[in-house]
Amino acid sequence: MTWRHRSVIDVDDWTREEFLFFLDQSRHMENVMDRPVKKVPALRGKMCVNLFFENSTRTRVSFELAEKMLSADVVNWSVSGSSTAKGETMRDTAWTLEAMGADIVVMRHGAVGAAQYLASKLKHGIVLNAGDGTHAHPTQALLDVYTAWKHFGSLEGRKIALVGDVLHSRVARSDVIAFKTMGCEVVLSGPPTLMPREVECLGVTYERDARKAVEDADMVYLLRIQRERQQDGLFPSVDEYHRWWGADEELMKLAKPGALAMHPGPINRGVEIASEVADGHQSVILEQVRSGVATRMALLYLCGGGAR
Amino acid sequence: MEKLLFKGFKVFDGKEFIKDDCVLVEDGKIAKIGSGLECADAEVVEGNGRLLTPGFIDLHAHFRDPGLEWNEDLKSGAMAGAAGGFTTLVAMPNTKPAVSEPALVEYVLSHGAAAKAARILPAGCVSKKREGKEICEMEKMAEAGAVFFTDDGSPVATSHLLRLALLYTGKRLPRVMEHPEEISLFQGGQVHEGRVSAMSGLKGIPGASEEIDVARGIALVRDTGSRIHFTHISCAGAVELIRNAKRAGLDVTCDTTFHHLTLNENAVIGSGYNSRFKVNPPLRSVEDQRALWEGLVDGTIDAIVTDHAPWHMDEKDEPFQEAPFGIASLECAAAVLLDYRAKNRPEVPLELIFTKMTSAPAALLPEKWQGLGVIAEGACADLTVIDEARTRIVDCQTWHSKARCCPWEGIALTSWPVMTFVEGRKIWQDDEEL
Repeated sequence: MTWRHRSVIDVDDWTREEFLFFLDQSRHMENVMDRPVKKVPALRGKMCVNLFFENSTRTRVSFELAEKMLSADVVNWSVSGSSTAKGETMRDTAWTLEAMGADIVVMRHGAVGAAQYLASKLKHGIVLNAGDGTHAHPTQALLDVYTAWKHFGSLEGRKIALVGDVLHSRVARSDVIAFKTMGCEVVLSGPPTLMPREVECLGVTYERDARKAVEDADMVYLLRIQRERQQDGLFPSVDEYHRWWGADEELMKLAKPGALAMHPGPINRGVEIASEVADGHQSVILEQVRSGVATRMALLYLCGGGAR
Repeated sequence: MEKLLFKGFKVFDGKEFIKDDCVLVEDGKIAKIGSGLECADAEVVEGNGRLLTPGFIDLHAHFRDPGLEWNEDLKSGAMAGAAGGFTTLVAMPNTKPAVSEPALVEYVLSHGAAAKAARILPAGCVSKKREGKEICEMEKMAEAGAVFFTDDGSPVATSHLLRLALLYTGKRLPRVMEHPEEISLFQGGQVHEGRVSAMSGLKGIPGASEEIDVARGIALVRDTGSRIHFTHISCAGAVELIRNAKRAGLDVTCDTTFHHLTLNENAVIGSGYNSRFKVNPPLRSVEDQRALWEGLVDGTIDAIVTDHAPWHMDEKDEPFQEAPFGIASLECAAAVLLDYRAKNRPEVPLELIFTKMTSAPAALLPEKWQGLGVIAEGACADLTVIDEARTRIVDCQTWHSKARCCPWEGIALTSWPVMTFVEGRKIWQDDEEL
């Protein structure tokens, strides 16, 4: 297969065949992680800039590990000390990156559309979206699909229940697209105040009752709850949230035997997920973290020209 | 005595196309309308079947002057209006400082007039410094030339203040023009709450935000016996509320914008969340867009406006979430709408569109300006020539406006204004006409 994607802003324009090809590549990359010398020369001589406007230790470290395992040169742009903090526009930032010869820019930004905007301003550089506001988080979706695919093989006909704050979740949006493309049935659940209006336009069903949503699910995906949403009045209390939408063993029993408990991390124990589920035999949360490195390696390799 | 003879035009008089094809202008006024008119000492403008309409009247435009002139000033705005076929433009008062005292009304009038292009009429604020606390000196401001009172950019801050403003203006002073928005439902909003917010994750602005404020205004008009004009109506619920208020005999009027008639939320999605499509009120659903057209046809919507909102490229060219709201459109608005109507709404009579851009908005201006928006003997010779066959690509780089981006950049549109006259004086002509 000829890889046609360069910048990746979301996975909404990926076909199922492309996903399958990508998953296969990710498996090869995961093999690299198991070697005594965790380094291949695929991106030797390529310059990667990790441009993080928001704090995200996990995603940034995951990308950095992936870049280094592929032998890319890595620069972590310190935003707080950059001209951005002095009022430089993102257009200027883009042109600066271009002038410095960056080949791949991994960007996390708090504004929806920031990654797309940066990609539109770069003539040569590749932009990989590490999360833009509440819009998209494509690499999280890729690692989630990869984790599930490793467990189930084909995802066709599988059911995934995403439970929690969908309204503010870039993970949920990208996961819905990715799992649907892979042939899954997607059900969303959470308080109506944390759910987008007209959510059905995403091609999913909404089930307010988490117990009904997870019924017969192959995967139960718990979304992170930010406590400040409670201060905004979007749900009345953490206790009430946990009782109705938090995952405990009782909730997981309603899913299929062997169903996976997934979470993008970091977890709020006792809020969206109880410790017995987070640390239990159904949890694949740490596998997701490992998958993150493998899939980001695959993405860097395919988009960065390693496949050509 | 300067004379100008328009010959061989399809003449729209403000309500309909008439059988006469000639209009004679003398000293800035329309002297005679007829067929086969001749006048030996008049300069002749040959129509060759093109359209002659009253100059377009825009009740809602932003010129950023005083205070933010790098975005637009009264001169560039007046020229931009002229190049779009507009002869009268109402300048919104949310400048820096806000136009909330008579001297600033006079400033806008005099600086607008100095441009010698489209006529600029100032709207004054409802509240002093646009702070939403006390009503302005409305009598003095009306005397100075204010043609509306509005805190546009925001709704009137409290129901109490809006009630006072309606009581004070009554039916004698210029109308209060309300920017309908319930602030608590708007906070942080970026796009229409619906498909586009669900897909993008951007915070939605529900149609209910607009409906609630329209309902407030209607209740206060009923209470005070006054009148109100709702500007840039964007959603079906607001159209329905205003339709019912009109049926109940209340003096409630409204306008919608060129962009809400011709674009919907799908444009935001399709553009990949390009900030060119970021506007307040947001581009709404297909159903809302359909309701606006229905409201236009059945008379609920009185006028079509631009809500021309120019920004410097450095400010507007940002990721969607960080860019300011606003679409600049004065120079292409008429072509956008005429092109859209021809391709998508051919059942809507052209006369109706022109009425909403000429005589209907004119009727909402104070007494002093009655007589604009029509082609009639004795009326002011504000005229626009439209070439229905002219196809041009929208190129913001050539605009008189200081704005350099709009949603239609690079799009080919057919049916453009090619000449604009104010009081019989040519203020703009398309280069291809020269």
